[in-house]
Amino acid sequence: MSSFKEFKIKWGMAIDLDKCTGCGACMVACQAENNIAPQPDASNKLKSLNWLVVYELTNGKPFPEHEVAYLPRPCMQCGKPSCVSVCPVIATDKNEEGGIVSQVYPRCIGCRYCMASCPYHARYFNWFDPTWPEGMDKTLTPDVSVRPRGVVEKCSFCHHRFMQAKDKARVEGRDPNALNDGDYVTSCTEACPNGAIVFGDVNNPAHKVHDLVKGKYAFRLLERLGTDPQVYYISRREWVRRLGDNYLENEKVKG
Amino acid sequence: MALDRRGFLKFIGGATAGILATPVVWKSLDDVSIWTQNWSWIPRNIDGANSYVPTVSKLCPSGVGVRVRLVDGRPVRVLTNNDHPLGGGLSSIAAAEVQLLYSPSRMKRPLKRTADGAYVGITWEEAETMLVEGLKKAKGGDKLAVITGDETGTINELFTALAAEMGSKSCFLMPGEAQPAAKAWELMGGEGQVGYDIEKSDYVLAIGANVLETWGPVIRNRRAFKAGRPHGETPSVRFAYAGPVQNNTAAGADVWLPIRPGAETVLALGLANLLIKAGASSPAADFADFKALAAKFTPEQVAAQTGVDAKRLAAVAQELAKAKRPLVIAGSEFGQGGGAAPVLAGLALNALLGSMNREGGIRALPYARKVVPAAMDRKALLQNDLVGWLGKVASGKAAAPQAIVFYEANPVYALPQTDAMKATLAKVPFKVAFTSFLDETAMACDLVLPVPMGLERFDDVDTPYGSGQVVYALAVPALAPLVDARPAGDVVIGIAKKLGADLGVAAFADALKAKAEARGASFTEPSATNAHVSSAVLPVNGIALRADVLSKAIDVKAPAFPVALAPVAKLNVGTSKTATPPFNTKTVRRWEIQGADLYVMMNGATAAKLGLQKHDRIELSNPAGKFTARVNLFEGVINDTVAVPAGHGHTAFDEFSKGKGENVMRLLAAGAEPGTGLSVWNSAGVNIAKA
Amino acid sequence: MDKNYDLPIDAALFPEGCTRCSLSKFLVWIAAVMAVFGWGLYAAYRVLAEGLGVTGLDDYFGFGLWITFDLAVIALGAGAFFTGLLRYILNIDPLKNIINLTVIVGFLCYSGAMLVLVLDVGQPLRAWFGYWHANVHSMLTEVIFCITCYCLVLVIEYVPLILEQKQLNRNKLVHAIAHNFHLMMPLFAGIGAFLSTFHQGSLGGMYGVLFARPYIARDGFFIWPWTFFLYVLSAVGSGPVFTVLVCTIMEKMSGKQLVSWEIKSLMGKIAGTMLTVYMVFKLADTWAWANDILPRSGLTFDQVFYGWIYGKWLLWAELFACGVLPAIILIVPSTRNNRALFYTAAILDCIGVTINRYVMTVQALAAPVMPFDSWETYAPNWAEWGASAMIMAYAALILSLSYRYLPVFPQEVKLNK
Repeated sequence: MSSFKEFKIKWGMAIDLDKCTGCGACMVACQAENNIAPQPDASNKLKSLNWLVVYELTNGKPFPEHEVAYLPRPCMQCGKPSCVSVCPVIATDKNEEGGIVSQVYPRCIGCRYCMASCPYHARYFNWFDPTWPEGMDKTLTPDVSVRPRGVVEKCSFCHHRFMQAKDKARVEGRDPNALNDGDYVTSCTEACPNGAIVFGDVNNPAHKVHDLVKGKYAFRLLERLGTDPQVYYISRREWVRRLGDNYLENEKVKG
Repeated sequence: MALDRRGFLKFIGGATAGILATPVVWKSLDDVSIWTQNWSWIPRNIDGANSYVPTVSKLCPSGVGVRVRLVDGRPVRVLTNNDHPLGGGLSSIAAAEVQLLYSPSRMKRPLKRTADGAYVGITWEEAETMLVEGLKKAKGGDKLAVITGDETGTINELFTALAAEMGSKSCFLMPGEAQPAAKAWELMGGEGQVGYDIEKSDYVLAIGANVLETWGPVIRNRRAFKAGRPHGETPSVRFAYAGPVQNNTAAGADVWLPIRPGAETVLALGLANLLIKAGASSPAADFADFKALAAKFTPEQVAAQTGVDAKRLAAVAQELAKAKRPLVIAGSEFGQGGGAAPVLAGLALNALLGSMNREGGIRALPYARKVVPAAMDRKALLQNDLVGWLGKVASGKAAAPQAIVFYEANPVYALPQTDAMKATLAKVPFKVAFTSFLDETAMACDLVLPVPMGLERFDDVDTPYGSGQVVYALAVPALAPLVDARPAGDVVIGIAKKLGADLGVAAFADALKAKAEARGASFTEPSATNAHVSSAVLPVNGIALRADVLSKAIDVKAPAFPVALAPVAKLNVGTSKTATPPFNTKTVRRWEIQGADLYVMMNGATAAKLGLQKHDRIELSNPAGKFTARVNLFEGVINDTVAVPAGHGHTAFDEFSKGKGENVMRLLAAGAEPGTGLSVWNSAGVNIAKA
Repeated sequence: MDKNYDLPIDAALFPEGCTRCSLSKFLVWIAAVMAVFGWGLYAAYRVLAEGLGVTGLDDYFGFGLWITFDLAVIALGAGAFFTGLLRYILNIDPLKNIINLTVIVGFLCYSGAMLVLVLDVGQPLRAWFGYWHANVHSMLTEVIFCITCYCLVLVIEYVPLILEQKQLNRNKLVHAIAHNFHLMMPLFAGIGAFLSTFHQGSLGGMYGVLFARPYIARDGFFIWPWTFFLYVLSAVGSGPVFTVLVCTIMEKMSGKQLVSWEIKSLMGKIAGTMLTVYMVFKLADTWAWANDILPRSGLTFDQVFYGWIYGKWLLWAELFACGVLPAIILIVPSTRNNRALFYTAAILDCIGVTINRYVMTVQALAAPVMPFDSWETYAPNWAEWGASAMIMAYAALILSLSYRYLPVFPQEVKLNK
């Protein structure tokens, strides 16, 4: 494992799982924003390409003690991404201020080693060329290039929105490296009617997410494996937090 | 110089070395990365100038306020519109609305059914001629029926006015939450439309009503949910949900009270009993009757009848009593068929809690005045019971109409007892559908007329049921229709003229202008929302609790089936009018649809009782219909109940929804609610056998 | 000399003093091989034309049969470099009697693996990016470098054998080249040993470095996780007996003895020794994994196995039935020289290393890491089997041609007098 840079700006999310009701609007908004092709049959979830997936969590208890929660899973944009060091062709990197793990589609050779490395299943492979129903390709946004078959892709935290926000700041004479809270948010953040996702610069005290990730109910997925994700989850429910990582029977849950 | 063999080899060698020394080879090799990214068959995205159009979704039942992003006039995204009174996020239907413009099932031109059952494209002139001819035969004496799937639009006034000019009052809305609520409110003596001020409430108890997923203007509900729940902190607004299934509302709620399907009224009465015991009262004239009725619903009695845990029930009653601005919202878990009694009982609870005509409570919202003179107003339209009427037609108690017009409605798919309803509709000699998609109903019509989609037309959303205030939102076209579609309003005005009737408006746009005016809105200035909010409310006086009606309504025998049926509604699978939008197949849960198979949910105890395991193939049957499905174990379902995801099993539309799963409506049998006469179909039961 | 019409038509091409079956019989066999090859070619065409979606792979199982196949054949092909090392560098002379076969088998394993990789990467046209945009931190980069380079070395080692073909060798130039190649062989054997050791190791390292996948993550020494060393050892502990097994199959099919028992036994002894060393470390590694890495990751030993398909029986089979047992049989002279036991051990040994490569490829991906994730299962489909069968057919074809026309087995004439 090679070492990774520390960044002054660190884009991150704080997703309150007590607020997510599992409606799926984020998944749709993500596909539309990032030019992901629709799939007539998406019943094989292992072959359905969606950068953001909402998992169903259960407390494992029988009725009536049962509880359910939903967990949206974008790319964790790990501080120590397991995927970056393994890519043989530097098609994925964590190099830009903001700490977003990039994916360079024209560089990717499609070996899928990064997918094997990622315990979050955040990476997806284009098993076929993407196709849209006739005419629907006219709704492609100009912001994100369409990926051909044979390359890996993943959530980019709507990186194009980051670029646009910086451009806007420059035009308005503001410092593009000091964006205001809300200048740059991802498509899923914006779409969620429950406001379950708060997005911003984890390092910037002026951003709401900065304090949220320090809250006592905040946790990250599989923290103990050392991936250092930039996506945080929040739940007041202990059983939900316990599902954020693997715990041995006698181990206590954070928070 | 002759080129000998050695010379030739030298030349080749030299040339190779020379070419390799230039960047040509290396550059081209490197370019491979670009070619392989841009094969001709991979669609390209095209850059252009951005523009945004604020509008409201007519496609999504939430009536969510949105912004449409266009690039050089091409719509590319539906975006959140936080300024809009019905906005603040996206529903999973609205998020896909731009892409639905290019849905493979989109109607592209008028179609007529030929004698052999095939559909052929015709011109609008031919279509209108055919429509006029068809309608001529349906003049007088309720020979024309109109079924509309639009609960909030002024368009209904044009259709109902046309019907009125033809001498018919057979105009119906597709079943929803608004009708039972209107009935309940009317029975209580309330005026106007009942409204729920969720935004200012500090305790929301939803009984049946799927308030965070399908009930009312749900994005606005969820914005209130969001506001009451700061990240990671103790919520300032508590949500409790009572229903048979731990659905999306239950997932967000702090408390889930599991109750049997159709047990909403009893639960509400049980709570009323506890509240009254704790000192709650109401100035209603019939409070004593109500108190006497409620007293019968002791926690033990309620527990026995609804399956609810008596302790949890008591806890919720206490929380309600303690709350400053509690609000009870009663409805049906799947947005229809629940009858008036649950709403009535829910409103009675609000009365006991002092929530009538209070901030964060129940509001009476004025209806807008009619703008088409001959039209049926919303209140009148809400009184007509489509399912009840079709039942009468089926049994011969009412005459079948000569012609029927469907406007953005898909009753062939979406009504209970689907198979029987379809057969009944088949009795009508001339059927016309105004629709954007070739849905099941369109496939049963003689004439299908394409209407522009919501993003392509002027339209309006006037105070959807559930809203806590008067909201008038204008839908503004973001683009011209992509297909040969005509606004239904203008077509109706033209047809009326040809039939010799003057509807009193020259164009649909005029009707919208008049309606906006009626709501006190003017859209002369550029607006970020194209929506208007009014704080107008009606006084709430002399509300009756109607114990007489309630006592009759609850006097129903439990269905004699081993397993109760609980349909589960979610917006991500679309509506009966849209089916599953292309992007949304990925949002369908893994053990909900697998290929063509529908998965139904039951808890482990129920499955064990029935001798079933996960993935087992079973047949669900009752006199209304039957189908096969597979078993998914989900502990968030009350005992002895099977939860069936709704919105699947389309027989029309496209590869994104056709033939996937089964349509739960086929298993729902409608009956009449004692005391109100309203059609209800929320307490069905089924037999389950291994298939 | 008069032509002997009893000999096959192509007899003039046979190695000096060797007999072969009739050409028609040979062609029938080749036709059967080509039928399998054609099926695989069709699978390959579909994969290249339509995309990898025609395979049984998915987003959980980005690696499947093909990677397992590659890793297994590369491990089993290790007979080439290790025997080369012993023969040319350590001068264990008797190995000259099997060295040609080890080279051919090695070449087939590596070139076959590369062919499969062309199908397995999503963008074969960009395969060279591994050199052009190399990420020096990636174990896979090392694999790409070493495999391609070592495959070239194997070609170089294979070429003199082709040049020694009876008719070709009559050409003076060819003869001289072949001779010179032979003189350089120790150099190539050395390079081969170096490259091969490294990429066998890198293949193991590839998995060991996946620190977020507790099933395969391993600690290690400097930049190399323990799997790096385990893969080298397991390859040299199985490659030599795999060559022997190939040889024995060829003997069964041709009805001739091609390599003397002493040589086979020697190969068995070599493999057995290395396998024993490997098993010591493998058992220690497994123990450390179960008692340190798993609990450190919050997992228990039981949690990383699932049902029958990914059950513990695979681990026990790999460690004991196909590890310790063959190691004992192969290092104890009395059991090693019992032919039945010898071949059983050789087969178990090869199965063991294949199970190892399989579980580290497939079970590692099947095991959920997020607690709310589920175990998933993978089964290769026809396209993957087809392409793999194509490689087997390709190997059968090259081996058949080499055996028929090239002087592969120095002992053949003597042993079949």
